[in-house]
Amino acid sequence: MKKHSILIISITLIVLAAATSIALFDHTHHDENARFNAKETIFDHLVDHYSWEVPFSHSHHIPLPIIVQDYEGGWHCFMSSRLSHGEMHEGFRIGTEEDGFDGKVVGTKPNGEVYRPLDISITKNVAALLITVIVVCLCLFPLVRWYKNNGTKSPRGIVGAIEMLTCMIYDDVIKSILGPVKGARFAPYLLTAFYFIFISNLMGLMVIFPAGANLTGNLAITMVLAICTFLAVNIFGTKEYWKEIFWPDVPMFLKCPLPIMPFIEIFGVFTKPIALMVRLFANMMGGHMIVLVLLSLIFIFKEMGGVAVAGGTTVLSVGFSLFMYIIDTLVSYIQAYVFTMLSTIFISLAQVEHHHE
Amino acid sequence: MELFMPEAGLVFWMFVVFVVLFAILAKFAWPVIIKMVDERADLIDKGVEYAEAAKASLENSENQARAILAEANQRQLEILQEAAQMKAQIIEEAKKAAAEEAKKLTDAAAISIEQSRKEAELQFRQEVSQFALTIAENIIRKELAGDTAQAEIVEQLLNELEHKN
Repeated sequence: MKKHSILIISITLIVLAAATSIALFDHTHHDENARFNAKETIFDHLVDHYSWEVPFSHSHHIPLPIIVQDYEGGWHCFMSSRLSHGEMHEGFRIGTEEDGFDGKVVGTKPNGEVYRPLDISITKNVAALLITVIVVCLCLFPLVRWYKNNGTKSPRGIVGAIEMLTCMIYDDVIKSILGPVKGARFAPYLLTAFYFIFISNLMGLMVIFPAGANLTGNLAITMVLAICTFLAVNIFGTKEYWKEIFWPDVPMFLKCPLPIMPFIEIFGVFTKPIALMVRLFANMMGGHMIVLVLLSLIFIFKEMGGVAVAGGTTVLSVGFSLFMYIIDTLVSYIQAYVFTMLSTIFISLAQVEHHHE
Repeated sequence: MELFMPEAGLVFWMFVVFVVLFAILAKFAWPVIIKMVDERADLIDKGVEYAEAAKASLENSENQARAILAEANQRQLEILQEAAQMKAQIIEEAKKAAAEEAKKLTDAAAISIEQSRKEAELQFRQEVSQFALTIAENIIRKELAGDTAQAEIVEQLLNELEHKN
């Protein structure tokens, strides 16, 4: 009985996913003559946008506010719906490939020169960011409320799961690496980073509004997270940490005439956060990309062999991409965990104390 | 490649939003959660410690109870033994006392028997000697009628005396 229901659910999911994928790629063949461009479609789904698609529809978009500063320093704020279909508004439009700013808001100077204004628009990713923050708060504040009402009594259900996750990170990662005193000091940042990454990873996997933005697969997001870890490492680094960077305990010739070791150490200070940034970005973006490529196969094969081939490929592709989705769900957790764990390790490496006999 | 170029606007918003999120959580959420998680860990540790102590004390008291029981059994055995000993002793003593008493009685009886035997003997002897004397008197009176017979008797008596000595 249970086996059957699992099978039925799986089949339903595959069919649903197939339907969704067809809906997602729907816009690519409005025009029967236009050929399906896999690369364009895939990158279109990975990059940021000024509006958010309404679920299962490519013709309707949820407009988001555009906030730009023109070359004269004046601020402009309007909804992205004003710029749809290449329209111009207040001297701004969506750039094309000829401008060199494909898909970005560009301004035109009176002399006809196209420029990129200072752009702090609430894009799809920024909106997703805000939603992620709200979801993180919705996850954590019930736990806080539970503790305030019930003391140390153990919570049940989702709140209990959140607590278990928190304990797992706090006890097994933060406290075991940094020790109880320093662990409690750095835990707020590390746990915030963990929950932010974990929630936005998962939200990135849910394909429709209000989720589905490729947030942690965006270099800007991971860069800021890496910079935060970099600051936490270096601002709270001990004297011993700095001494080991600029004057490490190595033979004199390695640091005196030519500062080889200090150079390597300083290089290491920067490579650590860069590694964090790239790892998270590449993992999440890669996961999205594989799913998109697998789904694109359907349309590539359809162009090659018609509907029958596409039908066969659909089942296969959707099966594979479902599998990838499941792996990505795992990766979502693993990457959040790894980011937190490496941040904790980097912080603990900067907390070295003088220990000479 | 747009994908690999961090967008300034997004960096700005991410920074602002993340710092705000961190501030909110660091102010309102994490202190409570961390405090409670630590407290719970302490509570659990204490609970385990307490349970272990309780188990140890239970074992201890079980051992104690067993020891007390064993001691009681030992005492019971000792008392029983003592009682048995005492019983045997009492019986022994009683037997001894009875034997002594019996001996005393038999001794007394023996003495009195001896005495009465002696008395009876004495009486008997007196009576016999009386009789003998009377008989002798009679015989002598009868015999002493002739001289020869007298001489014979004297002779005979003398011989007898000689033989005796």
